[in-house]
Amino acid sequence: MCTKKSQTTKLDNAEVPNGIFRSGIEVQLKQKFTRSLAQHGEEVVDKTVSPWRSLETYSYDKYHSMEEIYQWMNQISEKYTDVVTQHFLGMTYETRPMYYLKISQPSSNPKKSIWMDCGIHAREWIAPAFCQWFVKELLQNYKNDLRISRFLRNLDFYVLPVLNIDGYIYSWTTDRLWRKSRSLHDNGTCFGTDLNRNFNASWCSIGASKNCQDLTFCGTGPASEPETKAVSSFVESQKENIVCFLTIHSYGQYILLPYGYTKNKSSNHEELIQVGQKAANALKAKHGTNYRVGSSADILYSSSGSSRDWARDIGIPFSYTFELRDNGTYGFVLPEAQIQPTCEETMEAVLSILDDVYAKYWLSNSAGKVTSITVVLSLLMSLIALL
Amino acid sequence: MLLLLAQEAVALAVPAGAGGPVDAGLGRGLLQQAAQAALHFFNFRAGSPSALRVLASVQEGRAWVNPEKGCKVELVFSTERYNPQKGEEHLGKCSAQVFFKNQKPRPAINVTCTRLTEKKKRQQEDYLLYKQMKQLKNPLDVVSIPDSHGHIDPSLRPMWDLAFLGSSYVMWEKTTQFSRYNLAQLSSVKQWKTHEGAIDFDYTVLLHEFSTQEIIPCRIHLVWYPGKPLKVKYICQELQTPEGSGTEEGSAVAPAQLSNF
Repeated sequence: MCTKKSQTTKLDNAEVPNGIFRSGIEVQLKQKFTRSLAQHGEEVVDKTVSPWRSLETYSYDKYHSMEEIYQWMNQISEKYTDVVTQHFLGMTYETRPMYYLKISQPSSNPKKSIWMDCGIHAREWIAPAFCQWFVKELLQNYKNDLRISRFLRNLDFYVLPVLNIDGYIYSWTTDRLWRKSRSLHDNGTCFGTDLNRNFNASWCSIGASKNCQDLTFCGTGPASEPETKAVSSFVESQKENIVCFLTIHSYGQYILLPYGYTKNKSSNHEELIQVGQKAANALKAKHGTNYRVGSSADILYSSSGSSRDWARDIGIPFSYTFELRDNGTYGFVLPEAQIQPTCEETMEAVLSILDDVYAKYWLSNSAGKVTSITVVLSLLMSLIALL
Repeated sequence: MLLLLAQEAVALAVPAGAGGPVDAGLGRGLLQQAAQAALHFFNFRAGSPSALRVLASVQEGRAWVNPEKGCKVELVFSTERYNPQKGEEHLGKCSAQVFFKNQKPRPAINVTCTRLTEKKKRQQEDYLLYKQMKQLKNPLDVVSIPDSHGHIDPSLRPMWDLAFLGSSYVMWEKTTQFSRYNLAQLSSVKQWKTHEGAIDFDYTVLLHEFSTQEIIPCRIHLVWYPGKPLKVKYICQELQTPEGSGTEEGSAVAPAQLSNF
């Protein structure tokens, strides 16, 4: 399906945007929109404009600008220095640093890893909000909560709170409904690649566009974008250890399995369905929200080049896309009042998946790992008892 | 309405489930598509900004697909009030038949829903909204409702509800078996006045189309008086289709009848 016309470009330079917003009123009001957005905390160079925040007063039920999120990451890694480290992943197109947090409890136990990224699409603000919430929950509870402390004994967490940093900032300063990255194409006439069509998974074969004007533009080649390269290099380097790859989006209320680029099912499709459905049940138990579970091609639409499909194809067994609230009522512009309940219910879903992952690798494995010696011994004991 | 059962037709049933049904192979959430279309149509036909409904969940459905003619969907779904009232039962149930003509928009819809609010109460609430709207002074410097953080000023809520109502008509008309629309934002107000007692509202919304992820601006002009049929005209800035280029204009005056609740 050919579609044309992407978002406006360079409104702040008062260029008349191509395609969509031709009417004078639209342009005027877009500029007003920019100014009013600026009051909500745009990315500012002058740091004295944004008030200093301590972690104690950080509001996890509000949306935060990229500048605030950078600060938050610093503060988190400073405060929880025994379990959190901040790492450089790569640079965005507009040369901003991408950082992820590693949450890891020092231990001699063998570990597996969980990867979570948020905000691959700029306008899906609830996603970065969830990544921050998730980190907060882990860190506030890893000492006192049995379930979470158990996870941290054997699992390391890699959390990338905002993947598409340039796009996210653009959605704060200029266009709230921006989706793609901010890379420049077509001799400087067109902006943005859909990063979730840019991964090397049947790249650009279906459900994506070779036309930069479209919102599902797949880029100039698989992993052509610096953000995609940064994520895939790192995840690839860790793929032996990563058992779970979660990528957080909105909206729609889905838990999506591979694949989007084909109707064929992954080898562990049944297991993924089971685990996913259990997670959706746990989510619904919290506030009654209905999520649907299925492969992307089955219940959503076909799409190629997604990070989730790529992760599954390099061997990461539990690979899911979450599409958070809501169902379309507010869509991308989810009211802040819904941040907390959304994060609470999503947390239950993620914890449910972690339970299943943990059980698969640590409960059965540890029994197996105690090795055949124990089995032989207990067999001998039974034999002796019989004599 | 013809019941389509061609040789290639496939009937698929989806059972209700506590954890939410898995749309086993129904291809791109056809049930969800149909439910959304039915709800847009229902909201438009009801013509009541105080009684708008949103989709809660699809409970059961069957689809007949004829590759040449189109597809027919029968379904049952639950709805919630868009403006939830405290202490009120807010979950309603609807059954609908939706017929998507192949590749064409404006699906034919038959939909009935259980009553959520008594007719008299609904009329009262509509009239209250109407009075609030008449008192709105110069909302022309309104920018983006909701704002970036999803917030709608309570004084502007009636205007948003009316914008939503008008958009429902547009979204129903544009829906096909492949495209699904939701209202993203009210992006500008060109005119807001009363004319012969009715609210005359000229505005632009941004619609979000799910399969292409595109944002489509639509200019809508509606005339509303509580209890009277809603009149809507619109023009959307279209995306190009494979067959041709150019803007597609959709313009319809709808002398709609109120559904009987």
